[in-house]
Amino acid sequence: MSESLIRRPRHGRHWWHGDTTGLRLARHSLTLVALAVVLVPFADLAVLTRDPWAELGRIAQGLAWPAWGRLESPLEALGLTVAVALWGTLGGIVLGFPLALLFAHSRLVRAGCAFVRAIHELFWALLFLQVFGLSAATALMALAIPYAGIFAKVYAEILEQIPAAPSDALPQGAGRLSRFLYAELPLAWTRLAAYTRYRFECALRASVLLGFVGLPTLGFQLETAFREGRYHEAGAVLWLFYLLIASLPWWGHRRMIPLLALGGALLLGPWPALEGGLLWRFVSQDIWPPALLEGDWRGLIAWLARIPDLGPAIGNTLLLGLLGSVGALLVALTLWPLACRHFGNPATRLAGRGLLVFLRSTPELMLAFFFLLLLGPSLLPAWLALALHNGALIAFLVARHADAITPGMPGINATGRLAYELLPRLYPGMLALLYYRAEVILRETAILGMLGVATLGYYIDANFEYLMFDVAFFLLLVTAALNIAVDALSRRLRPQETAIIDDPCQR
Amino acid sequence: MAGEPCRPLVAFEAEDLGHGNQVVLSRLSLALYPGERVALLGPSGAGKSTLLGALRRRLDDSAAWCPQQHGLVPQLAVYHNVYMGRLTEHSTLANLWNLVRPLAGPWREVSELCDALGLTGLMRRPVGRLSGGQRQRVAIARALYQQRELFLGDEPVASVDPHQALRLLALIEARHATLVIALHQRELALSHFDRVWGLRDGRLVIDAPTHELTLADLDGLYPDADASAETPREDRSLPMPDPEALPCARGRP
Repeated sequence: MSESLIRRPRHGRHWWHGDTTGLRLARHSLTLVALAVVLVPFADLAVLTRDPWAELGRIAQGLAWPAWGRLESPLEALGLTVAVALWGTLGGIVLGFPLALLFAHSRLVRAGCAFVRAIHELFWALLFLQVFGLSAATALMALAIPYAGIFAKVYAEILEQIPAAPSDALPQGAGRLSRFLYAELPLAWTRLAAYTRYRFECALRASVLLGFVGLPTLGFQLETAFREGRYHEAGAVLWLFYLLIASLPWWGHRRMIPLLALGGALLLGPWPALEGGLLWRFVSQDIWPPALLEGDWRGLIAWLARIPDLGPAIGNTLLLGLLGSVGALLVALTLWPLACRHFGNPATRLAGRGLLVFLRSTPELMLAFFFLLLLGPSLLPAWLALALHNGALIAFLVARHADAITPGMPGINATGRLAYELLPRLYPGMLALLYYRAEVILRETAILGMLGVATLGYYIDANFEYLMFDVAFFLLLVTAALNIAVDALSRRLRPQETAIIDDPCQR
Repeated sequence: MAGEPCRPLVAFEAEDLGHGNQVVLSRLSLALYPGERVALLGPSGAGKSTLLGALRRRLDDSAAWCPQQHGLVPQLAVYHNVYMGRLTEHSTLANLWNLVRPLAGPWREVSELCDALGLTGLMRRPVGRLSGGQRQRVAIARALYQQRELFLGDEPVASVDPHQALRLLALIEARHATLVIALHQRELALSHFDRVWGLRDGRLVIDAPTHELTLADLDGLYPDADASAETPREDRSLPMPDPEALPCARGRP
């Protein structure tokens, strides 16, 4: 006691010992960065191509002079992309909404939703591809099933957050459905609609990506053109995609949806000839290890031992997830002032905003593909892609949040504004958002494997290719378990007490 | 009215009221008799809403309820918000259809109420686009639409001008035999009610007929500036949030 009376507050030493929010978050972030720095040597970050700059030049040329004329039926691919995204989302709503109502009450529903969410759209596509072939059914189910899980969770969260007063004010004994329709749904409607809209945008990106596994959406042409080095065509497809995203507010208007849905339904196809026997064999036999079906435990262990490089694959996946998250944090910290009204002039802001929108609407897989061509197959292109895409996404949200802040001291210079006025207010939200993205980033790391990065996804893709469905399915389960674990961990680590920017409508 | 011969509608005898484990009103004793018009006074956070909530639970279906913050759904039209007062009296199917196309009978009744409350022509307007005073009247309309013997109102005339407050109180009195209304206007309490319940710091400190009370007695309920450092027990002093911003609560577990 007497000692503590003598002790004076010391300046400069042990400054990191405080327990204010700012210091805690700073320690938190620095630990994260330090962890990433320590683990970087374990990552394979070699640049494998000989002349990346020449390749970059050719790609830039392709983007600058897109060869529109050489595209094969681009409108059909475009239409199919939209149709798949729209019907996939609708399917997700139809399946997800009832689940959202059960979400809070049933552990089984929550677990099921976590499982279907944890597997990326592309992996679902790979799975259904084996049964339904290159058909509309594969594409729709690949979107609808994970989206059902996502909708269930987010809708449930939104419904949980509506004010209780209107429902309390109802006369006692009002029926459940009446109560829901009068005092709950109208209150949540705006946010439900906003989130559904956002998800539809994601579905558009995912629908393009489905081309990478061979479904005839825009991504198919993009992938072939890129792989074969026809960059002018690839540029044309990319521009088409950006135009599609940018013009979404016009063609994606609420009133247009019935028309789009109807038109899309006609475009969807081909439909598979469903063979019940085949489907049943796939579900009951193909995806399970034979030893398990026979109840031969020793055989099962031998089967497990034969799975190649499981440890390194999991390690790579986690490492890439961590590096991607830390990279995204650094990218977000660097980029957000570019698009914020408190800094620069209108021209720089326009450019900054353009850059962020560009990085954010380009799917990670496409970015990774691009870096892969530049740098060769290592973790590096995947890391860059994840950091840039997710960092830009976070930066965009942070900048929008910052725009709403009015600094208390108007005359302060730019650095002061950044360090004293804005960052202290924004950083907690930024970190929280990053922790949410960590789950998404991990999901993406797995699919980057399809480009040859040695994550779990690489082995899943390879095993599907060799028709080793049992191994592929097992790896899918491992991926899902990993994602669920990381999601739980990041939820625990996420700063809790702070005002959070994180709004499901914007994820 | 002491020594009323008939049985009380509801009576508390040394009961603790609160939410969950937190006791807001401790050892409360009071009774409400039929035909009584009671003004409930007290500073914000004294437990008025808790008491009204407890009365509502006891009285169940016999009380019309006009909550603080109104409990309106900003996205729905005035008509639907008023209709919600009698949601239980129609089948789910009828309620559902009513959202698509108003039922003829309720529409007629609600429009009569709206005329009486100065909401003519606003029946189809979303409540979110109304002014504060208009919303207050919608909340009262909903309570009146329930057509009960008894009216429980948590500051139903808080955000209207004094003249309108008088008119609204008269309307409420005309349609209900028994009233319990929380308010802040002490003069109104003395001029329009039979009895005053005064709460302070979670205790019932006044329970007397109005003719025995003076404004000075009522002033005693409100802690003066020195005591204002006390923290309120309930956070009921917040202004009515903007309905547009309502459904966007943040922060997840």
